[in-house]
Amino acid sequence: MKSGARYKWNRRHFLKASLLLGLGTTFLQACKRKANHILLKLTGTNHILGHRLWLPDFPPVSEKIEIPVLILGGGIAGLSAAYQFHEKGFQDFLLLEMEDEVGGNSKSGSNSYSKHPLGAHYLPIPNASNKEIYQFLEKSKIVKGWTENGEPIFDEEQLSFDPMHRLFIDNYWQNGIVPEYGLDEEELAEMERFHSLMKDFTEMKGRDGKYVFDIPTLFASNDHDLEDLDSISMEKWLLDQGFKTKPVFSYVNYCCRDDFGTGVKHTSAFAGIHYFSSRKHDYLENEEAVLTWQEGNGRLVSLLKKYAEGKIRNNCLAYKIEWDDNKVQVQVYDSKTNKSTLYITNQLINCCPQFVNKYLIPTRKTLSDKFAYAPWLIATITLKSFPAASGAPLSWDNVIHEGKGLGYIFDQHQSLAQYKAPYVISYYHSLDAQDLRKERKKLLDFNEEQWRDFIIEDLSKAHYGIEEEILDMRIHRLGHGMISPVPGFMMSEARKEMAKPIADRIYFAHSDLSGLSIFEEAFYRGYLTAKEILTKYY
Amino acid sequence: MDRKKNLSIFLLLAVFIIAICGLVYELVAGALASYLLGDSVKQFSFIIGTYLFSMGVGSYLAKFIHKNLFDRFIEIELLIGIIGGTSSVLLFLLFQQVEHFQFILYFIVFLTGCLCGMEIPLLMNILKDRVQFKDLVSNVFAFDYIGALIASVLFPILLIPKLGVMGTSLLFGIINICVGVFLAFYLSKFLKRPTWIKIKAILCLVFLVVVFYYSDRLLAYSENQLYGNNVIYKHSTTYQRIVLTSSKGNYQLFLNNNLQFNTKDEYRYHECLVHPAMSVAKTPKRVLILGGGDGLAAREILKYPMVEHITLVDLDEGMTKLFQTNEILRQHNQDALNSPKVRVVNEDAFIWIKDHQEQYDVIIIDFPDPSNYSLGKLYTNAFYKRLRFLMHEQSIIAVQTTSPYYAPKAYWCIHETIASIFPNPQAYHAYVPSFGEWGFCLFSPDKNVDFQQVNHKVDNLRFYDYNFSKLTDFATDMQKIPVEINRLDNQILVRYFDEEWSKI
Repeated sequence: MKSGARYKWNRRHFLKASLLLGLGTTFLQACKRKANHILLKLTGTNHILGHRLWLPDFPPVSEKIEIPVLILGGGIAGLSAAYQFHEKGFQDFLLLEMEDEVGGNSKSGSNSYSKHPLGAHYLPIPNASNKEIYQFLEKSKIVKGWTENGEPIFDEEQLSFDPMHRLFIDNYWQNGIVPEYGLDEEELAEMERFHSLMKDFTEMKGRDGKYVFDIPTLFASNDHDLEDLDSISMEKWLLDQGFKTKPVFSYVNYCCRDDFGTGVKHTSAFAGIHYFSSRKHDYLENEEAVLTWQEGNGRLVSLLKKYAEGKIRNNCLAYKIEWDDNKVQVQVYDSKTNKSTLYITNQLINCCPQFVNKYLIPTRKTLSDKFAYAPWLIATITLKSFPAASGAPLSWDNVIHEGKGLGYIFDQHQSLAQYKAPYVISYYHSLDAQDLRKERKKLLDFNEEQWRDFIIEDLSKAHYGIEEEILDMRIHRLGHGMISPVPGFMMSEARKEMAKPIADRIYFAHSDLSGLSIFEEAFYRGYLTAKEILTKYY
Repeated sequence: MDRKKNLSIFLLLAVFIIAICGLVYELVAGALASYLLGDSVKQFSFIIGTYLFSMGVGSYLAKFIHKNLFDRFIEIELLIGIIGGTSSVLLFLLFQQVEHFQFILYFIVFLTGCLCGMEIPLLMNILKDRVQFKDLVSNVFAFDYIGALIASVLFPILLIPKLGVMGTSLLFGIINICVGVFLAFYLSKFLKRPTWIKIKAILCLVFLVVVFYYSDRLLAYSENQLYGNNVIYKHSTTYQRIVLTSSKGNYQLFLNNNLQFNTKDEYRYHECLVHPAMSVAKTPKRVLILGGGDGLAAREILKYPMVEHITLVDLDEGMTKLFQTNEILRQHNQDALNSPKVRVVNEDAFIWIKDHQEQYDVIIIDFPDPSNYSLGKLYTNAFYKRLRFLMHEQSIIAVQTTSPYYAPKAYWCIHETIASIFPNPQAYHAYVPSFGEWGFCLFSPDKNVDFQQVNHKVDNLRFYDYNFSKLTDFATDMQKIPVEINRLDNQILVRYFDEEWSKI
């Protein structure tokens, strides 16, 4: 009963001979491979509704609602404000969200095989100073308790499972994300020098005794000599430090794009260093450990959302904000009922990004234009199987060195079940260039076939033949994916000015005011603003 | 040469080819029977006997055919081609599914034999008016026996090695039908309904060629080389590839190319996995098996009459179905999976234990080795913590924990991981020739449990004699070594396992 290639060859020959007997070829055609048909779907933020702010022609106000505190925007900042209110037993507030679901950049979705993120997909182990976040994590049973030494005990099922990262470099999947495989001694030495410089920055403190690089940025030093780093690009800084080898630049470029959308050329050196130096690794030996879930930070959204139960109004687009000494008036359009409502409130927590706020409060337009947002694309791809690849096994985060995109997350990685086909992955791509507006236009102008081809081409570098394996691809576009700390922005007057409240009635809490689009920034801005309002007025 | 002479030569050639085909079908049936059912001497004798007997029956029946001899002859030719040609494919496919496999096997052998038996008398009947009787008998039998010789020599030397059983029978089915096709055209004018016969002949040929072309999708033979034995069953489920092989009357089960058991010595493994735990447990009424879809652990557990209920959780329905339906495998697990006491649940074990709270007296864990990160999760401290919810204070748990000889780090890593959750786990091991030195771990939430104590015993075990201390002694080359605990976020076990097995 042995056989093998030889036998198959014989069989083919036999078949050819039998064809000569005049048997026709119909059955041969039946087994010709069908061209793989990929189901494609294009989704994204509700930019059509959002863009109605350009030419506001909403129906006249037909209803008035008075509410002591109003939260605008249901991203992490807005939800965290609601969470703080709930903590303190304050009930007199409402939260308005333009989309049909809260979550903002931490939204998630699901298909038949897996939940998956549609934006942010993990929370690094927070710094010990982030006590309020730890309280939230403990309440949410993500932290199960504390050791005698005062270290948090994380629920192991919510910590990223091993293997975490792999990098496709030199036609090989290496373990870990820092390039090593195939690097020569000089390149390796530069990688090491880079990391040791970053370690110094991690420990560096300002004259006020606070860390220069900290999360949230609100906790960081305001009195240090590194402000100038913000005026140059990360690339310029690397060059100034004498870095020459390509892997360092590629690696730092990847990291900057991953957190800011923009790469080394268009990210300020201060922000670039912040990425590597703001996390203090106070807990857990494994510095790479993060908290993550199949639905990404969608989990954090659903946990926070519980505290705003009954207070959330979806599909509500605020289009005008006016104020006087006593009240704030917000005109809101409900896209479901096609009616406009006037909300009259004492304090407004505005958790909208500044590219939206400039339409709601026209006086802010000039300064708002200093805020740059990188467009993003996330593709949820369902695969029959993974094409074979040599090296490290499928990991949580899979990055292609010098790829066009930012690699992909294996969405079922955090499942406790045995892995089985079909597999679901989330492919990430940030559109990075000098002119982000142009990139934003490209994001919208490309049709689904163009994006499909782009993604397949990028993934094919590491997975030859992946196209054959794809069953379904859902492309999620985020026109203003995240705030990008372009050179000069973090230290700019514009940023500081825009974070200031108006008339002690309108407070701003979106994470773009930090210059960084991360959970902790949004959480603290929302949480602390709510706290301030409660202390002052209630 | 005159037409008449030509005709008889062609017909004698046909006898020659038919003889080869006939013997090939017989050999195929014999080979299949010994592959699938084991005991080759017995199977071959039975098959040859049945075949010869049914040829006799066929010869006898041939005398009832008087009319349209040419038409009938070609039809019989086609029928043999179809039945004989597809016999191996049919038997392979049916082996996995039907309960009375032997009946079907002998039925097919009988049918083929019967039809082959009809050929020679029929042919002699056709030729009797054209050739002298003396020549007729000698010629027909000479060609018949020469054909048989050629077949019996070619079969083991050329056909089986090159084509495999299935390819051989299909190829000869095609040859058989080609003879039919040739005769249908050549003898056209002798036929009663020439067009109809020609159409049938062509259709049969097309059918067999199509089956021939697709046969390797039905069963890919290439793996036989991998296993070195005769693959008798192969099935890819969503989770794994199940391959059952047979050699020298024993069966071996492979999951994803890893040997799961060999019927020759699996009793050593399963007795060690089950009986220490069962004998220590106070009242082993309710038992949980995680993994163990082969029903062999269940077989051992069912030996204890006080067992009231067994829940077996194995994610692969393909696996449990196989061991619930296949005759040979059911014989082997003593039909344990069809016992009224056993409930089979096809779910992922980790997810299942998360969703359940009921308590078991004994838990037997028989997962595949931690050879990848997916399986590694089933050996983490998170898993054992969850498992605690399915225990009462006196529950006894036994786990298979890889080889303490080949993979000592992996072995002790599982042990230490269990020790991080439960008091005083007891490592033990036994020699299983197919695997080598193999290890297990016995533990309980009860820190005062005495694993040496025997509360229950069954007779007639072949290996375990309830002297537990015999299994707990570890020689110097298997001593405990310092290892890390296996967690979801380090999966250190898979790394140890990989590192150690890749050295072998």
